[in-house]
Amino acid sequence: MINTAVSCRDLSAGYGKKAVIKNISLDVRGGEILTLIGPNGAGKSTLLKAIAGYLERLDGSVKIGQMENADARELAKLLSVTLTDRVRPELMTCREVIELGRYPYSGMFGRLSDSDIAAVESAIDDTKTREISDCFFSKVSDGQRQLVMLAKAVCQQPQVLILDEPTSYLDIKHKIDFFEVLRPLVRQRQTAVIISMHELELARTVSDMIVCIKDGSVADTGTPDEIFDPDKIMRLYDIPKELYDKYIG
Amino acid sequence: MKNKKNAKYPLLFLLLALSVIAVFWANLFIGSVNISPRRILSALGGADGTQADIIRKIRLPRAAAALFLGGALSVSGYLLQTFFNNPIAGPFVLGVSSGAKLTVAAMLIIFSGYSISSSSGFMILAAFAGSMLALGFVLIISRKTNNMSMLVVCGIMIGYICSAATDFLVTFADDSDIADLHDWSQGTFSGTNTHNVLTAAVIIFIGMIGTLLISKPMHAYMLGSDNARSLGVNIKLLKAEIVILSGLFSACVTAFAGPVSFVGIAVPHISRTIFRTSKPIVMIPACFLCGSIFCMLCDMAARTAFSPTELSISTVTSVFGAPIVIAVMIRRRKEGSL
Repeated sequence: MINTAVSCRDLSAGYGKKAVIKNISLDVRGGEILTLIGPNGAGKSTLLKAIAGYLERLDGSVKIGQMENADARELAKLLSVTLTDRVRPELMTCREVIELGRYPYSGMFGRLSDSDIAAVESAIDDTKTREISDCFFSKVSDGQRQLVMLAKAVCQQPQVLILDEPTSYLDIKHKIDFFEVLRPLVRQRQTAVIISMHELELARTVSDMIVCIKDGSVADTGTPDEIFDPDKIMRLYDIPKELYDKYIG
Repeated sequence: MKNKKNAKYPLLFLLLALSVIAVFWANLFIGSVNISPRRILSALGGADGTQADIIRKIRLPRAAAALFLGGALSVSGYLLQTFFNNPIAGPFVLGVSSGAKLTVAAMLIIFSGYSISSSSGFMILAAFAGSMLALGFVLIISRKTNNMSMLVVCGIMIGYICSAATDFLVTFADDSDIADLHDWSQGTFSGTNTHNVLTAAVIIFIGMIGTLLISKPMHAYMLGSDNARSLGVNIKLLKAEIVILSGLFSACVTAFAGPVSFVGIAVPHISRTIFRTSKPIVMIPACFLCGSIFCMLCDMAARTAFSPTELSISTVTSVFGAPIVIAVMIRRRKEGSL
């Protein structure tokens, strides 16, 4: 199944009139995980927001599924975005959070149809969150909260998932758990994933494609094996060779 | 589990509705003149006489005012708490009530010679302008800080500035203009007549329908604006709707009863404790009913506790409301979420 779910062409965007990211082109196919790596402030989050349409596009185009300019409700059925805001809504159960993923489909007062409930149940199963589904979202661990947010995103039944540093605050066990859930899920549902992360070791094992972002532009694109070359990493992050050898090599 | 949880909502609503009726009845029944239940019923049925007048012209509008305005004030507080994601937000602490008080006082003094000043629609309009002005300042400040406590402190300061400006106006106004103003600026449900209550009830009814219509996007908004946006919520529209509705509710209250403190903060927490949920579709009517009960009880206490001397409504609501706010803050501090 070779269908391109996201296609960016010469995308430039930023805050106000100033372009933070310039001339970015990338493609992601359904069932594929594309990972953005690069130094802090390079523009990874900005790029994710630009693809999501949260920022004014200064130039270029983004195609999500077959749509180029969908309205908000239609877009919400194609694309789910989870950024880094760390909200802890009170007295809201995990199931309630997951059910909100049906927002674009549900009725006027948020009433769920049978197919909505079926989508919620399968999202809960696929993300292994059944045990905590009746707990309050504010009371579960950070790792569980990320899985619940993933379940919410999956509930939208999007063709494209955008995840901004979903594992940054988690310990190694929970990072691994997260990708153990994410990988089979996107393969099975043929969802295209664009994810940003700082954990290079993980990026190497979980990604199908890597895009290196530096100074708001694409510095390099390739499969994990092509990108994870010490010279390229040293250049991307501006790490002198002796320090790289001392700490990483 | 889920079904069990939802099943208790109708029961709780039924209990609240029965309590509203019971407390409303008690408000008609209790007062300095003893009137038998049978007389109350015949007065409501349209009988004549002094006692019937007391019921129809004094107790009934006053109890109805406490019912509608108390409910509106609580919903206003709930909307503001949701908007700012801040558990100690409310129309009084954010200076919204004081802003409304300032414009209403100014209008009363400026137009004191004209009959326009007694028009309830005009009063609401003036109060709405004041609420929006104060909320506008709070919104500007909220762009600069995400800190919950800072926001509240700034709101209280805006409230003080508006109160000072009101005092300034009152100081230089003619005594005859401000006789009513003094009682009103302390907060009371006693100044209402049937016509005012009906006006307020109509506006509040429309406002409640509007609030229920945005309950779905509000639920999504509780996950934060970025997440809500990803679900297809039009954030700018939703924010404008919340601000306008909460301003409308608190304007209504301030226009007819003056600034009433702590109801807007405390009652949403009482409702959350009862229902153990944050779902707006449940919380909006729950806040309204709890606010009605709370205000009717407080007004009854204000009338009867030191009868024949009457307390201002804010005196009573503060006594019961402030400890609830303190309890909420301590509990949240323990959980490390404030």
